[in-house]
Amino acid sequence: MKKIANISNLLFIALLTALFWPSTGRQIPWHILLVAVVIKAVVQIRQATSKNNEARQGAVDVSAIIFAALLAWYLATTRFVLLDTMLFPQPEAVLALFVTELPTMLKGLVNSLILLVSGYLLALAIALPLGLLVGWRARLFHAINPFTKVLGPIPPIVYIPYAIALLPTFRAASIFVIFIGAFWPIFINTVHGVFNIPKGLLDSARVLNLKERTLLARVILPGAMPSICTGATLALVLAFILLAAAELIGANSGIGWYVKNFADYADYQRVIVGIIFISIVVMTITWGTERLERHLLRWRN
Amino acid sequence: MYEVTLSNVDYSYSDHRVLQGITFTAEAGDFVCLLGPSGCGKSTLLRLLAGLSFPSSGDITLDGKRITGPGLDRGVVFQDYSLFPWMTAGQNIVLTLEQAFPGKNKEEYRQAAADYLEMVGLAGAYGKLPGLLSGGMRQRAAIARAFAINAPVLLMDEPFGALDAITRARLQDLLLQLWQQREGERKTVFFVTHDVEEAILLANRIIVLGLNPGTVKGIFEVDLPRPRVRQELYKTEAFAALRDRLVTVLHENILSELDGGQTVRSDGEGI
Ligand SMILES: Nc1ncnc2c1ncn2[C@@H]1O[C@H](COP(=O)(O)OP(=O)(O)O)[C@@H](O)[C@H]1O
Ligand SMILES: [Mg+2]
Repeated sequence: MKKIANISNLLFIALLTALFWPSTGRQIPWHILLVAVVIKAVVQIRQATSKNNEARQGAVDVSAIIFAALLAWYLATTRFVLLDTMLFPQPEAVLALFVTELPTMLKGLVNSLILLVSGYLLALAIALPLGLLVGWRARLFHAINPFTKVLGPIPPIVYIPYAIALLPTFRAASIFVIFIGAFWPIFINTVHGVFNIPKGLLDSARVLNLKERTLLARVILPGAMPSICTGATLALVLAFILLAAAELIGANSGIGWYVKNFADYADYQRVIVGIIFISIVVMTITWGTERLERHLLRWRN
Repeated sequence: MYEVTLSNVDYSYSDHRVLQGITFTAEAGDFVCLLGPSGCGKSTLLRLLAGLSFPSSGDITLDGKRITGPGLDRGVVFQDYSLFPWMTAGQNIVLTLEQAFPGKNKEEYRQAAADYLEMVGLAGAYGKLPGLLSGGMRQRAAIARAFAINAPVLLMDEPFGALDAITRARLQDLLLQLWQQREGERKTVFFVTHDVEEAILLANRIIVLGLNPGTVKGIFEVDLPRPRVRQELYKTEAFAALRDRLVTVLHENILSELDGGQTVRSDGEGI
């Protein structure tokens, strides 16, 4: 058996001790307790099910860091009150508020995701086929490449004010900016992906006399997929940043707006709640896209 | 089954003359080995036959018709990259079959692909990705694919060059067995190698190419009886005599190349 006295266990016990430490007039912080216990349970389950030693150790170490952070946060704001209570709210209060704010934030999330998904999918739907075609046909590439060189590096964030002025609604402006931001990384990486397909594979395809459509779908697309995944991931990160930026500037709903709005009222408890919520959303999406990528590239050993 | 004729074929790459005045005829059903040192233009010649590039001057005809591009009348096996790594062995063959025999239903393609895999001793590999197969198994699948289109011409560019000796011998036997199967309908095979013994074991006719520019240094008929069994073949005088003649021609070429003041470049080209 593994040794019991690992750092994660020690910090977990330290955290429990701090939470249960008797003091007058204070309730047990149930929310922190619940979070800690859930994390501990997840780690134990991973320990039991994962065969990979490194993954197991990783889970233990990550949980140790979380416990340490919770402990430090709790001690510094609640037990010893070392920090300014307005800027640094107590973890128990934040977690409790997280639960009550969840419905509001989920509604905001839906609004945000509509923008994100529309802009991103639009970019994917246009940049990917275009990238395949431009990468494959030399003449198209030479015609388009100068524009890529000029337009590609423009930080898409600079389009925001103009897009808001230009387009009738905030929603259209945000989708447009997210589209532009996501477009270039997907397009450029798709073109490079096509270039990087080993020549021998293209010869193999050519001797089969495939129709161009079949060739693009069955050879060029999968051959460029490693690079496309890189571009699509990059584009997603950019899309998130642009979404947040757009919402900070002009929205009246959405999750980025939520954070900005309460910051304006100096309600930092809700600001932190919003940030935690966003990080959970991003984490979930990243987890999903990583699995998708692994599936798409499973042929690469 | 096609007669293949090359007459006065030149090929230049930018201002570098790779092949010069290549002239020979392969009869229908011939097994031709193209033998020569690295860099002499064997792969280039095979690409011309495949229709992947075109001669700067001269003619290549298949069954009397000039090559205008790649075609399914020629099966091709490269040293690597013959299979698409994102498709399973079976899917690779299905894609080929769909090209060669359009309009059948999925199940027919599946069944045919499975049969071809079984033919090369890969019955269980239908669902395996090439990355999970050994080098020998990959080349087996590539051979299955080349035979699946039932083309009259088969082009192979050092297909066993990256394999260990035993795997290589097994695949040579497999290839010969498949080629000999239907007498009278034998494919015309062009097999590139730089291994003298491999050439003698396989070929009816060996074309020796020389370096810089690539020219035909000699054409050798191999009239050793088939089936050729290695252990017995290697003991025969005919084998030894032919090997010596081939080695002499190859060496002559390399020695004159070295005496000609050409040094081996640091990137190893020309070795
Ligand atoms: N597309 C090409 N680009 C650059 N060099 C080429 C190309 N095609 C042929 N060559 C040159 O032609 C010569 C013969 O190459 P190749 O046909 O691959 O020889 P082999 O297969 O006999 O080793 C080499 O010197 C090679 O550099
Ligand atoms: Mg070669």
